[in-house]
Amino acid sequence: MRATQNTAQSSFIVLQIGNRRFALAADAVVELSAPVRLHTFPHTSPAVIGVIVRRGRVVPVYDAAPLLAGRSFSHHRFYVVARRQFGQASELGAMPVSGECELASGEMQPPSTGSPAYVCGVLPVGEDSVPVLDFNTLVNIYVSPEREPAGAGASS
Amino acid sequence: MNATRKREGGLRRRSRSETVLLFAVAYQKFAVAAASVQEIRSTDSLAGNAVEIDQPVLSKVRHILEHGGHTFYVVNAGAHFGLPVSRPSLLLILRESRVAVLIDSIERMTEIPAPYPLPLAFAGAERRWYRGLAYWDDMVIPVLQPGGFLTAQEFEQLERAAKSTASQHDLQGVGPA
Repeated sequence: MRATQNTAQSSFIVLQIGNRRFALAADAVVELSAPVRLHTFPHTSPAVIGVIVRRGRVVPVYDAAPLLAGRSFSHHRFYVVARRQFGQASELGAMPVSGECELASGEMQPPSTGSPAYVCGVLPVGEDSVPVLDFNTLVNIYVSPEREPAGAGASS
Repeated sequence: MNATRKREGGLRRRSRSETVLLFAVAYQKFAVAAASVQEIRSTDSLAGNAVEIDQPVLSKVRHILEHGGHTFYVVNAGAHFGLPVSRPSLLLILRESRVAVLIDSIERMTEIPAPYPLPLAFAGAERRWYRGLAYWDDMVIPVLQPGGFLTAQEFEQLERAAKSTASQHDLQGVGPA
């Protein structure tokens, strides 16, 4: 059986974080939101930079840019909103996106050897191969207790 | 799936409302249920009732307040939340608690919609600090848990420090500053 035999053409949102492009499965994305106001308050949870309010919900915002692109960016064009699982429960989470977003269709290929756990595959887009992110794994790895700062008040 | 739906339902804004005090520390706004505040005093008015802890065990608690026959630990809210240094001018004396909180200013007393639960993404000490998040006047404001300023362990540490301070003062014949 060939590796691609079970894969079908799927839709992906291709987004830009810093200078790098990543993709998320379109069915994992709940919304692409305009850069609404980020509300901040003191907390100690790493990678969470604040919350936005979308459709009557308070949505935590994760800044994955330091992990994915090497640093945070003060300007962004969208928030990509996806669902994060917490055992049986789930909630929405948002991630700032720096550039334009595109909708692409294609067959996701397996990730290359040594890819981080949050990369679940590779999507050929034009001449590029764009890493496909698993949002849940990404934020779970990023906010793991090992990364938690010792002191309080990592104010977002 | 059902659990997900239930949780989503819980995140919807409910129609209940409550009266809160909105206050500021280092330009950060917070809310606390008005019913949980016993008294608001100016820091100037407390000079005679506050005792400085000789060897502070917690950087956020440097004074003990004797008030109405009770002892209160004075928590600097800015230090508690890791905010930039500010000039607290008011003290919130909390009801049914041995905590008084130094804050910069009271913004207003108002009615706000019932707070949203704190998202699960917030997994640190803030789960103890906040009862939820209120969306009011186009702002998201953390609603404080009055019991979240000091842990049981911190109370124990402070009690030991307070006893030591009291015995030092007894030896020196010193009263409240």
